[in-house]
Amino acid sequence: MPPSAPYIELHAHSAFSFLDGASTPMELAAAAEDHGYAALALTDHDGIWGSREFAEACKGLELRPITGAELTVTLPESPDFAHLTLLVESATGYRNLCRLLTMAHSHTRDNPGRVASQPWATLEQLEEHAEGLVCLSGCARDGALAGAWERRDTARGERLGRRLLGAFGRGRFRVELQRPYWRHDRARNRWLAQLAARLGVPCVATGNVHSHSRRRGRLQDAFVAIGLGETLEESEPRRRGNRSSALVAPAAMAARFAEHPEAVAETVRLGERLQFDLTTDLGYQHPRQGDRDADDELAGLCAHRLTESYAGRPSRDEAEGRLDQELATIRHLNLSGFFLLHHELLELAREVAVEVRGRASARAVLPPGRGRGSSVSSIVCYLTGLSHIDPVEKNLFSGRFLNDEAQTLPDIDLDFPRDIREVLIPRVHEVYGADRSALVAAFPTYRPRGVVRDLGKALGLPPGEIERVAKTTGFHESAGEMEQDVIAAIGAERAAAPRWKALLWLCDDAMGLPRNASQHSGGMVISTEPLVDVCPIVPAAMVGRQIVQWDKDSCSDARLLKIDLLGLGMLSAVERCVEEVATTRGEELDLSRLALDDRETYESIRAAETTGVFQIESRAQMQMLPRTRPQNLDDLTVQVALVRPGPIQGGAVHPYIERRKLQRQCEGESREYEIPYEHPLLEGALEETLGTIVYQEQVLEVAIDLADFNHAEAERLRRAMSRKRSQQAIDEHRDSFLVGAVGAKKVPLETAERVWEQIQGFAGFGFPKAHSAAFGLLAYQSAWLRVHRGEEFLCALLNEQPMGFYPPDALVQEARRRNIRIVPPDANRSKVLCHVETPRAAVVGSGDPRPHEQRGGSVEGPPTPPHSAGVVRGGLVVRVGLGYVKGVRKEEMEALVAERERGGAYRGVADLASRSGAGIASLERLAWAGALDGTPLDAAATHADATVAESTGGSPVGGERRQALWGVGVTANGRGGARRTQLALPIEPPQAPPLEPLGDWGELIADYRSTGIALGKHPMELMRPGIDPALLSSSELERAKDGGMVEVAGMVVARQRPGTAKGIVFMTLEDEHGIVNVIVPKRVYERHRATVRAAVMVRARGRLERREGVVNVLVESVEPLERGEAQAPPPLGPEQPPAHRARSKSQPEPSSRRARELAVAELRSVAPAGHSFGRRGR
Amino acid sequence: MGATTPGLRRLYAPRPVTARTGPNGTPLAVGDVDVATVREEWEVDDRWWIPERLQRRYFDLALANGRSVVVFRCALSGRWYRQRA
Repeated sequence: MPPSAPYIELHAHSAFSFLDGASTPMELAAAAEDHGYAALALTDHDGIWGSREFAEACKGLELRPITGAELTVTLPESPDFAHLTLLVESATGYRNLCRLLTMAHSHTRDNPGRVASQPWATLEQLEEHAEGLVCLSGCARDGALAGAWERRDTARGERLGRRLLGAFGRGRFRVELQRPYWRHDRARNRWLAQLAARLGVPCVATGNVHSHSRRRGRLQDAFVAIGLGETLEESEPRRRGNRSSALVAPAAMAARFAEHPEAVAETVRLGERLQFDLTTDLGYQHPRQGDRDADDELAGLCAHRLTESYAGRPSRDEAEGRLDQELATIRHLNLSGFFLLHHELLELAREVAVEVRGRASARAVLPPGRGRGSSVSSIVCYLTGLSHIDPVEKNLFSGRFLNDEAQTLPDIDLDFPRDIREVLIPRVHEVYGADRSALVAAFPTYRPRGVVRDLGKALGLPPGEIERVAKTTGFHESAGEMEQDVIAAIGAERAAAPRWKALLWLCDDAMGLPRNASQHSGGMVISTEPLVDVCPIVPAAMVGRQIVQWDKDSCSDARLLKIDLLGLGMLSAVERCVEEVATTRGEELDLSRLALDDRETYESIRAAETTGVFQIESRAQMQMLPRTRPQNLDDLTVQVALVRPGPIQGGAVHPYIERRKLQRQCEGESREYEIPYEHPLLEGALEETLGTIVYQEQVLEVAIDLADFNHAEAERLRRAMSRKRSQQAIDEHRDSFLVGAVGAKKVPLETAERVWEQIQGFAGFGFPKAHSAAFGLLAYQSAWLRVHRGEEFLCALLNEQPMGFYPPDALVQEARRRNIRIVPPDANRSKVLCHVETPRAAVVGSGDPRPHEQRGGSVEGPPTPPHSAGVVRGGLVVRVGLGYVKGVRKEEMEALVAERERGGAYRGVADLASRSGAGIASLERLAWAGALDGTPLDAAATHADATVAESTGGSPVGGERRQALWGVGVTANGRGGARRTQLALPIEPPQAPPLEPLGDWGELIADYRSTGIALGKHPMELMRPGIDPALLSSSELERAKDGGMVEVAGMVVARQRPGTAKGIVFMTLEDEHGIVNVIVPKRVYERHRATVRAAVMVRARGRLERREGVVNVLVESVEPLERGEAQAPPPLGPEQPPAHRARSKSQPEPSSRRARELAVAELRSVAPAGHSFGRRGR
Repeated sequence: MGATTPGLRRLYAPRPVTARTGPNGTPLAVGDVDVATVREEWEVDDRWWIPERLQRRYFDLALANGRSVVVFRCALSGRWYRQRA
């Protein structure tokens, strides 16, 4: 830093001004250092969201961070808002800034939709919290004084200036001059300088920086347009109009203010005064820090629990030893209060769980939540209920979680079922106080789809084109790839249009910048002192929740006590399943008492039959399971951790699989397998993972054992790996690793370098073993439920959506292949949620005692071949809930079910329309979904239908959706009316006219349109007779020759493009028999990217690869199924896509090819989109 | 500076002028007339997303002959224009 730098920037916005700043705090800090600034103030609008990140970024630079914010205030005698720049001079000033910002945001969600509105504080509030703050008079356009000049109200400006002078005094009030190169800069600054002279205060020059470079100024323009919801053209009056808001060198700023040299000099004088350091002067203490009574309290609690938990167990001595060791560390780190507070929270969660579940519920025996993360390795966490895994039994290493040299507070993460978490979070606010607890913020960043949509709109691009491109950009990618997407979606000619070119240009800059502030999934900060003195608190979008202005990294840097109350979908699903099992089978399942060595469960896992199973259902996991062949929970623990970016990039996966295979062979031959370690010093750290680095804490252990790191150094390395943008930080550890290994431990340099490469590769992301153990157990439990309580488990998964790897339709199709029976929604049988019916329950409370599926309704459970190869199990049936029908009103469905339970089954559509209270819109949707197929058109038909059905052995009567829809149309009331309810009048509909049945294809479309689940025939089954016979089905593929060329087709249920796979896309196709795994190499993907990303049904040609029971097709070409099939005119059978069927006889018959194209196009518009997964972030 | 539809005359259309400048790009003379004072200076860099991009440095000048004039230099063409403002 040149000591003579003539200027300090005291007014700069980062992207944390949300759409009014186009650079990250790190970019600003780095650019400021490059320019030779001594200090830089970050003054984002109404927030310090990025202040901690900024302060941390400056630590490694020769740049002093100044904390501040640009506060919006209301003006006296005016409806306008004005801006003031506030800079922190002391700890008191920082507290006042936090309180002011909290007040400014306190009303921002006071509207019916809780949509965030403009924050503002009053001048009175500012006056009460002025101490310790320096106030600059604000920016050129909206500043409190400059804005008055702009509005030609100089008298009011002067009055305001005197009032601010009164609040801050001559020492802490400055008139702010800016030079944005607008038309009247000089005149405005002359007036401001004269005003300053009259007030007797100095002027200070500022740059009102909005980007770290001139290039980023264009993005700033686009952001302003996005923020205003306008195009770039429309937003011209509010944009800056030139690039002068970029950070430039101090000398350039001094030259810009050549007419006001004193204002330039004042920046340096003032900047030197502002010495408050956010990284050291925060003054936060976590609850009960230093309270020695807490040590005794925690020790007593743990000792009591240990006596209970380890009574009579051989591991007791070891447990006592570990407890003593951990308690000593906790005392040393002054953390007893921290653990007690977590324990207290868990007890609160226990109370909430009882309320939510009900005392009589089958779920009541379950703990309120479960531990995850590294805390599971701690015996103190285990004994205080914060973990459910015995760390002694599982031999979990707690050094990663807790060690004497820890620099930051340990992380304790707890998973809760979603319903419990929803109640628990606002309860914590109530119990600890609104000023002492808040959720951690999260900052959703710009990703390709959002970038295309937001920037496309700002650039005035046609909405249709924007949407086409956005749908193609399913993965996270670079701007170069984005260009290919644009060309694929709208053609090269349009992609070359200037506005599309501009979008591509902007995308690269926008990607990864924060879009807005949101709430973290569950991280909560709790304090016994007012939290509003530490960080501003603002209301969240959800009622009863509030967030601090820092994200989890900033909270961690500030050592704030953070507890993660996470909602875990699978935990909710498992609990729902337990409850459903109790209802259907009268059985109280205690998951904690499940046998952990169930043969059938492990057989299904080894066969990769894991659809819906926690953590091991992904394509990659399924491909690995037949090769790793897990046999116990320890194997599952490794399995969960293995398919992560860390082990993959660290090169652990294939060595582990091969070594495990050899180990099994050795075990079979009763000899010991010798693990090939890189170095004997690694034996202790890597024995359990066969010499490979699979767990996060193994990085610590390797660094300690091989490179002579101490715990603190190893922990710093681990933390460097766990953060975004950490490559630079990791590189800094390389030298000390090599020096330690070669120097202190005498490891050959080449070996040390190889091990370092593995560590560096691991930086992507890995699980701690403790976390894997917790997740491995849940994986086992969910696999057990899938095998032994399949109907209830499927039902629970359907009710807990969205979650997991597969869309609901794929879950259902897979379950049907296992002969689980799923039946459509039925107004006389369904509940709002999906539920499991027993044969007895299926006839109770129904107007028609025959289950719909026995009446030959349009939908059967497992259809005839290929689905019903086996016997339907157990007589249980999963009934789709009424709430699953898209577009129905939940409260209407609740009322419909309540009325049915109160007054008995609906005797007909008219009865339903008059009693249920559902409006015509919901009833129409139910009719389309087939939910009224079991409800006769009129009450009189009930008896007649039953008679006919008996005589025909259950043939269809009144079961057509078109008839039901017609019935709704003539009996339900109109769409208007205040309550939209049908009067209870005895309207009997006339006889329905003859209506064409929907047919298989029509029902498929209706199913997808209404519930998203096809319960009739699979689309591929319907298309199969007409498509190229050379296309192999999934079952035929099983018998095809390894290495041969094959062609396959199916619906796309999932596509993955992991960042670790070098551009390869993994597609999962589904046909009527099962799943086809397709691998799309990068070169093929480049040629067919639109198809790979967006097509609903594809055909693919490639080479079959069969390895250890895993079948893949390595494709050379991919195309949309309909396009390929258009070449060969298929014969149209009665069950094929019948685009011609609904036509009247007078209409000309379309060609079969055209009919197929139309039918498939219709399917494409309604079929559930396959899930897409890809790499994240910049 | 862009064509207009025949029969229509664009108001305030910039007209080319010659300018003599100092080392920092500030005009010293417009045409044959010396600049007495630079009253104001501002910049426009806009419409970068379309071919009709604007990148101009404007000067509000008092000339030695007592007249006022607003001129700008187009950074894209390097030419000077006079514009009523």
